[in-house]
Amino acid sequence: MSGAFAAAHGGIRGRRLQAVIIAVVVLAATATSVVALGLLANANGPFDRAFARQNGADVTAVVDPSVATLSQTTATIRLPGVTAAAGPYPAVSVTAQVTVPGVPGSSSDSLRLVGRSSPGGPVDDLTLDQGSWPANDGQLVMARGTGVFPGSTVTVGTQKLTVVGIAESVTNTADGWVLPSEVAALAGRSNPAQAQMLYRFASAGSTPQIAGDIARLRAALPRGALVNSPVSYLGVRQSEESNIAPWVPFIIAFGLIALVISVLIVVNVVSGAVTAGTARIGVLKSIGFTPAQLVASYVLLVAMPALGGCAAGAVAGNLLAIPLLNANAHVYQVGALSVPDWVDVAVPLAALALTVAGAVPSALRAGRMSAIQAIASGRAPRSSHGYLAHRLLARVNSLPRAVTLGLAAPFARPARTMMTVAAVLFGAVAVTFGAGLALSLDRVVLDNPDTALPVSVSLSQAGQGQPSMAAAQQRSVVSVLAAQDSTLHYLTQADGQVGLAGLSDSASVTAYGGGNPAWTGYVLISGRWYSGSPGAAEVDVNTLFLTDTGTSVGSAYALGSGRHRFTVRIVGEVFAPGKNLDIYTSPATLAAIDPGTTEPQQYDVAIRPGISPPSYANAVSSALGGAYQVSASGGSKALDAVLTLVAMLTILIAVVAGLGVLNTIALQIRERAHDIGVFKAVGMTPRQTLAMIVCSVAFVGLIAGIVAIPAGVYLHHGVVPIMAHAANSGYPLSLVSVYAPWQLALLGLAGLVIAVAGALGPAGWAARTRTAFALRAE
Amino acid sequence: MDALVELENVTKRYEGAAAPAVAGVSLAVAPGEAVALMGPSGSGKSTLLNLIAGMDRPTAGTVLVGGERVDALSETAAARFRRGQVGMIFQFFNLLDDMTVLDNVLLPARLAGVPAARARDLAGDLLSTLRIAHRRDAYPARLSGGERQRVAIARALVNRPALLLADEPTGAVDTATGEAIGELLRDLNDSGQTLILVTHNPDLAARYSRRVIAIADGRIASDTVLPSGETTPPSPPAPSGARR
Repeated sequence: MSGAFAAAHGGIRGRRLQAVIIAVVVLAATATSVVALGLLANANGPFDRAFARQNGADVTAVVDPSVATLSQTTATIRLPGVTAAAGPYPAVSVTAQVTVPGVPGSSSDSLRLVGRSSPGGPVDDLTLDQGSWPANDGQLVMARGTGVFPGSTVTVGTQKLTVVGIAESVTNTADGWVLPSEVAALAGRSNPAQAQMLYRFASAGSTPQIAGDIARLRAALPRGALVNSPVSYLGVRQSEESNIAPWVPFIIAFGLIALVISVLIVVNVVSGAVTAGTARIGVLKSIGFTPAQLVASYVLLVAMPALGGCAAGAVAGNLLAIPLLNANAHVYQVGALSVPDWVDVAVPLAALALTVAGAVPSALRAGRMSAIQAIASGRAPRSSHGYLAHRLLARVNSLPRAVTLGLAAPFARPARTMMTVAAVLFGAVAVTFGAGLALSLDRVVLDNPDTALPVSVSLSQAGQGQPSMAAAQQRSVVSVLAAQDSTLHYLTQADGQVGLAGLSDSASVTAYGGGNPAWTGYVLISGRWYSGSPGAAEVDVNTLFLTDTGTSVGSAYALGSGRHRFTVRIVGEVFAPGKNLDIYTSPATLAAIDPGTTEPQQYDVAIRPGISPPSYANAVSSALGGAYQVSASGGSKALDAVLTLVAMLTILIAVVAGLGVLNTIALQIRERAHDIGVFKAVGMTPRQTLAMIVCSVAFVGLIAGIVAIPAGVYLHHGVVPIMAHAANSGYPLSLVSVYAPWQLALLGLAGLVIAVAGALGPAGWAARTRTAFALRAE
Repeated sequence: MDALVELENVTKRYEGAAAPAVAGVSLAVAPGEAVALMGPSGSGKSTLLNLIAGMDRPTAGTVLVGGERVDALSETAAARFRRGQVGMIFQFFNLLDDMTVLDNVLLPARLAGVPAARARDLAGDLLSTLRIAHRRDAYPARLSGGERQRVAIARALVNRPALLLADEPTGAVDTATGEAIGELLRDLNDSGQTLILVTHNPDLAARYSRRVIAIADGRIASDTVLPSGETTPPSPPAPSGARR
């Protein structure tokens, strides 16, 4: 075996370029697979993974310190079944005015603030997304998803806190965190300080187990010490997982594409390396190597650089996964995600096994040949594949000869060409799919009242719900809106809740009046918009309403519960995904459903194109005065995170596909180095050499790109409805019919771009190589 | 008459090599001359040929062909120079296996942008002259060694170069075929074609060239113009190792 090792070592030294290509390709394939499997693994139960990683709290309890002493509270840490605990942390509930730089006005929010000296701990290990932990009183870290960022201010009474960081608790244990010493200053008679305790239990897998844990906790404390009911992580998990569900299908699609491309590239490079080494096997045989030694030496020749590639690929994959998994965590709205350990072990081993498996059959075949046969088959002219293509293309006088030479090249190695086509095809499918997904998500953003009606006007009575406007107030608002040149149109909005017979959930009813309900931006999946005529009693509902009530468009349905019931007719299905049952109707119908809601609470305003919503809101706010709150919507941060992730995944896959092309071209150049020398010797310029090599994959890339369009569109049309379904919604045709013809034409060039980009590096090297050097190549 | 090829103190040293492959060589070849570069393996004669063809660049010195500084040309300009000024014939033919005889011969013309019909006429004439026209649609693998070298000569001549460079043109064929190839080259030279021939065979050098330049260890050991009709060349110089 030492002979085989020495032969393999010598072979690598003599074929450094090939060894480097194998190492780089295996590195890229391993890294991509680590990222892809990391994404796929995290798509399965991301909440549980984040929960485990952050030591999430099974139960979050709030203790009244006036009822339970500190020692009684801390004694609960030693209760049977408690495996870890954190606290007591001082906590306080406050009503605060939140001011975000760049956003006019301030909003009033109820916040639960907890005093912690650091983000870490045995339970609820917080992930600090931005900024730093408070170092002094007057500083605050807010929870992720609250819409604020460092630099914002939170005013509680006379206390002004500056937001210095953003953190994430996997079980949402607080809206914000301050230093423990700050809590006493924020507490008052009406909002006394409390103590937050966080627990992990040995048995916490089900609701009954959690209930048992809470019962033991309650029994260990004085009666009435627990404020409200302790919060179980199971409720948070249920809510989070329904948020995650819509995004899982596309991440699985991207992950699978990346895996397939990785496998294709590895198989392609290994089979190419074996083919290139057949003559050497013959030489080794002629000097006395046994077939077994030959097979071993050849497998080692491929496995040694592959081993280095696997190890480096695992490291690179983990590094590459950091930004992707961070983006993924934002999409899933969980604290932090990481590549599972089994992926770090399994992927490099699988990549090595795949490489060896790719080498063994060819090595066995070569090992069985006689020495002379192996030498001859390694040095003889290639089989006659592609001769006809060369002959026919040589007759095409309308194209430069360098181009026709390049176009004929793929026919010389049909199997390798097919592998390359497949790699480019999958890359181009990812680009088409990713572009479609981005267009669909853009549609979701556009088909939304926040975009269609970006400015809202309501009364400034924070903390008391949104009151209805009196007739005089409505006239004031209308006159100010009418006076603004930038006002396009507006709708009145009134919100109510209505119970549904037989269902535990109530439905939210939104009445838009004063204009066309289509101005809301909502898109109808089926049916039409409600009539605003008094007595029409028509409503539009979202898909979840239809599903949960067993109704369909055209059904009559009695809203309300108990004695007060009002029958409406469902005339349309609105695309409004989410966990809520939504009803949209006219103010007259809302008044009939909920007689307490007769006047609008808000005006939703559309503004002319090119006008900035915040500046319009500022103008309206100045005209109306402090009695009114004017808000401008700031876009969707969650969708921004999804779009970022889609872009990152698309680019990653396109780059890996390009690497597959680079590998094919490098093999082709190595095999045809002597021919390239001959071309140069008879007068082929570097530019012509470049054109010839690039054209050898450009056509392949173009074909792959064209085939990728229907494949990518098909994938998009398959995944988007699954995403909508996971978000409890049907989907309008406009959500899937997103590709404009010019966009499809452009996407058709994706394969060409991937192929040319992958080919340019090695083609440029071949073009620059001096003729005598190329001619010496064997 | 001005020299067609002029080398001035040319040195070529390969990276990592202890001694230069070509060391301070100066020579001139007039238009219409037939010159043999002769010497043992590794003496530097093929390197000299590559430098004249612009396929490699000297470490020092100047190479002029037809008044053009070949050593200073960019890769693109060198390729254009080869198309127009130089035809190359190699020991192992260097035909492209996946192209027919005709397509091999047409290649330099098509790369040079010669119109297809004109290139076909030129190639057809050459194949006829070289008595290989009947194999125009065959692939090189189907040809004998002599036929392959005739195809290579046709390819070298298709752009009507001023200079024909032949690197061991009979080294891979049998004696009879070698004789025929040699006759062909002499006929070309008789018709005015400048020829530089690399060989280690003194007999070939004497029979098919008018001047023999002996190369040893990268230097010119002798430069002999043979009297008309002489067939005994000067003795080839032995490499320095052999002299010791």
